[in-house]
Amino acid sequence: MLFLIEYDRGGGELVLFEKFDESNRRNAEEARLELELRLNRLGIGHEVVLLEAATESDLRQTHRRYFETLTELSRPQS
Amino acid sequence: MTKTQIDRLGERLKMGQATPEDLRMLDEFRRSFFPVYEKVILTIEEQLKLKTTGRPAKSTTSISDKLNRESIRLTQIQDITGCRVIVSNISEQEKVVAELSRIFPKVTVIDRRTTPSNGYRAVHVVVESQGRLIEIQIRTSLQHLWAEVSEKFADVTDPAIKYGKGSQEVRTVLNGMSELVASVELDEQRFEGAPPKNPSSVLHGLGGEPEGIREKVRKLLESTIKRLALDKE
Repeated sequence: MLFLIEYDRGGGELVLFEKFDESNRRNAEEARLELELRLNRLGIGHEVVLLEAATESDLRQTHRRYFETLTELSRPQS
Repeated sequence: MTKTQIDRLGERLKMGQATPEDLRMLDEFRRSFFPVYEKVILTIEEQLKLKTTGRPAKSTTSISDKLNRESIRLTQIQDITGCRVIVSNISEQEKVVAELSRIFPKVTVIDRRTTPSNGYRAVHVVVESQGRLIEIQIRTSLQHLWAEVSEKFADVTDPAIKYGKGSQEVRTVLNGMSELVASVELDEQRFEGAPPKNPSSVLHGLGGEPEGIREKVRKLLESTIKRLALDKE
């Protein structure tokens, strides 16, 4: 699965999280570009990234920073 | 796109002057890595039976930051595309690195366990294929935990922390934890499969059992976060 992420680094917060099937790769890439263009137009410097993992749960383990606060990061994962 | 055009694009990104046309051009450049990226990911998953989280394209903000931080050109960045693999311990990490070096003909191994980058420990294997570089990050679960916490500290306090600047207090804490992780993992490797008869000071001090040690590392992190009152909860 593909995951489009908009992340506000300074605030440490996830702003947008969108999922795409593997068969929709082209749409996911287009959505990423459109989001970057929109944020650029608005002068918003958020991080925009497209990631892919077998499941959302896998993604949440390998890229915890996008989803968790510092306190949550320090807690054991279930 | 020629190499010169791409590097000129890099200069504009560095200056923070990206136009919509620049973003489209960067997008085209990043997408040109996809065939090789896909091949590398499939090889890792099929031959090594490892789970990966792929990043088909480095974010524009990360590219701009890197161009500003290091004196390199856009065409020289070696992690435009890549993936991350998390393994349980050092022994497994070494096995994966050896397998990757065997499977791919052209690799560069960057061992950040022996030469940590501001506390960051991991092994990066950079695969070269068809003139493109793909970076594979191999982290143990503890190295990964440290990296995630360090990144988050940098996000919510000061991005410079990741690069050895910013708050001395936070850097001291993170460096101390990085060294602790390294000591614990070294001892785990040394005494793999059997409890140590003569535990080193680190293992002894932390309780001796790998799982117990991990819990204690996590507790240390939690108390640090509370002490520095950095969370927004």
